[in-house]
Amino acid sequence: MQSAAHEVAHEALDASEKLLIDQAIAKHMDRPGALLGILEAVQSANTHKFLSMGSLRYIARETGVPPARIYSAATFYALFNLDPQGDNVICVCRGTACHTRGSRDLLEKLCLDLGLHGHEVSESSEADKLALTTPDRRFTIRTVACFGQCALAPVVEVNHHILSHVNERTLQREVKALTQGRK
Amino acid sequence: MPRIQDIGAFNAVRESGLGKLVPAIPRITVGMGTCGRGNGAEEVYHALNEAIQRGGLDVLLSGVGCFGACFQEPLVGVRLPGSPLVILRRVQANDAARILESVSTAVMPPDLIYAKIEEWDHVTGFVRYGQGYPEIAQWNEIPFFKEQKKIVLRNCGLINPSDIEEYIAVGGYQALYKVLIDARPDAVIEQIKAARLRGRGGAGFLTGNKWDFLAKAKGGSKYIICNADEGDPGAYMNRNEIEGDPHALLEGMIIGAYVMGASEGIIYVRAEYPLAVRRLHRAIEQAREYGLLGTNILDRGFNFNIELVQGAGAFVCGEETALIASLEGFPGRPHPRPPYPAEKGLWGRPTNINNVETWYNVAPIVTRGPGWFAETGSVKSPGTKVFSLVGKVQNTGLVEMPLGTPLKSFIYDIGEGAVAGRRVKAVQTGGPSGGCIPVEMLDTPVDYESLAQIGSIMGSGGMVVMDEDNCMVDVARYFVEFTHSESCGKCVPCRVGLNKALRILNAITEGAGTAEHLNLLDELGRMIRECSLCALGQSAPNPVLTTIRHFREEYEDHIVAHRCSAGDCQELALSP
Repeated sequence: MQSAAHEVAHEALDASEKLLIDQAIAKHMDRPGALLGILEAVQSANTHKFLSMGSLRYIARETGVPPARIYSAATFYALFNLDPQGDNVICVCRGTACHTRGSRDLLEKLCLDLGLHGHEVSESSEADKLALTTPDRRFTIRTVACFGQCALAPVVEVNHHILSHVNERTLQREVKALTQGRK
Repeated sequence: MPRIQDIGAFNAVRESGLGKLVPAIPRITVGMGTCGRGNGAEEVYHALNEAIQRGGLDVLLSGVGCFGACFQEPLVGVRLPGSPLVILRRVQANDAARILESVSTAVMPPDLIYAKIEEWDHVTGFVRYGQGYPEIAQWNEIPFFKEQKKIVLRNCGLINPSDIEEYIAVGGYQALYKVLIDARPDAVIEQIKAARLRGRGGAGFLTGNKWDFLAKAKGGSKYIICNADEGDPGAYMNRNEIEGDPHALLEGMIIGAYVMGASEGIIYVRAEYPLAVRRLHRAIEQAREYGLLGTNILDRGFNFNIELVQGAGAFVCGEETALIASLEGFPGRPHPRPPYPAEKGLWGRPTNINNVETWYNVAPIVTRGPGWFAETGSVKSPGTKVFSLVGKVQNTGLVEMPLGTPLKSFIYDIGEGAVAGRRVKAVQTGGPSGGCIPVEMLDTPVDYESLAQIGSIMGSGGMVVMDEDNCMVDVARYFVEFTHSESCGKCVPCRVGLNKALRILNAITEGAGTAEHLNLLDELGRMIRECSLCALGQSAPNPVLTTIRHFREEYEDHIVAHRCSAGDCQELALSP
């Protein structure tokens, strides 16, 4: 869990956030997959693409679903983030075809280049469900089980744009462009 | 467009669709599936569009789905009135001018030519494009397509997936119309049974029997669900099927709903497939507009709705009971069966769940009959199956083959063998639930039983080719890492067993393996297989058990000689 100070910062919801959640609830409630739909809508509307504790509590209150169940769903599914994501999201595919064509090396190199400790990461048991954000929140590195882009392996998605047949050099160039473009 | 309420209106839509599919003016199509887009198809489309606008040309430009040859993307189709459809490959944006020039001169750019199509059997319909270009090879003379038979992929890459009229033009929704007019639901179930169609999600259960269970289930509302939570890494059949031909899925489901007596349908699709989600949304909207979905479908008094639900990145939700839990707003954790969903499914109601590809086979069986369907494939497994052929093979893409085709035809005839200078070592089928099949066993026919016999499974259709540079211990470790992190944690054998198996595999790939490890791994794998609650755990040890069985010497090499000859295990890599 997060530190107390962190959590308080997430707590407060303004009127527009509440309205958005109300709308998502009205749209999905009582339909199959309602909770997933609500959480997806709320997360994708968030600037930093995450679900704050405040919004989870608010959803629980408005839907009458116990907070524990909402938290359990939010932590069970890989797509949901409980922490703010970086300005640029780079997602490395860890599917089989990408793996056999060297996606692990790409991932490690990328983490290394951005100062995220690649090796410590790969030794942790959750290595294939990784989401790391640089301290300055410029970059988030994630992995996905498979994009289903296997014929183009290895595949990396940079800000929702798919790059095919990626190698270390093309990836470095892409990161460099993003770093400079922002300055 | 008004709702279709009689055969006259239906035929009018069909004519209108044909006017777009085989127009009296030149038509250019761009393969705009995710695979095409990843290779620059959007840029090609924009360049063509801009040039057409600028020149004020009378050319119809359309986006289509994936034609299967992903390694040749972006694919562009050019068809002049009365002439064959010519497919151009590896087209780039700066080829746009040349392509438009070829439209006026009728001479195709020679370096871009891939194949031509003179006529096409859409299974539910037939399209004649025209004859000509004797110098260009027919599409089915190209090795990649030669042995393929397109039933599921009958429309993919040819029709515009965002236009319901083009789907109707090739005979779409005709099977539905027939079923509604005949009003003999039991006869349709008999047809599906007689065709011996088996579930394409992997388990291979007879679809007709499954439908029968739901049709006979008593009382109240029933649900049908399409499982489009395609999570196997290395497999993307369902994504391309939906992206290229979403209406075929809807038609299969509407027919299924009618004959099983369901009033609500749900498509549970992976959120990682944004384009497939968009195309489905659009298809559902259009089907409603045309009176093919919603209330009083085709004016035959049948009501049925389809809801789209996006998953949220949990592999285990491909398991039917976990999928149902997910729809009910819980974490996707499986339940023991029985009760099966047909008795107690979504919200306790009788429910039928079928894989995407199973639904795609429904309209062809209704249109052409079970006898026709059973002509293809093997006796126990009739029909075709779509596979994603990827990894270390020359030609990668989606291939649809009759069931029972030997593995070697996939790799050497269609895939044209290993990449330059390498030798194929193994084929991984069935994703994390499947196994690795060594090159010596490539005579094995690809069907449910034969693959199970050698410890693998057909699964949903992933086929990853591996060569000498791939370490089989690393492959086993990779899959266990995946299933371990995707395990929902409900039952002990899967949650704890996979963790222990991963630790052992990590030790072996780091050079800390012992001889005892190998036996322990084997024993552990069998235990997990026997004792796990759902198919995820029951099949998770397959990659380990098959690699131990077929590639034991590689494990021994890691353990005894501390050597990884493939060079995948970094700690054991030989210095050059």
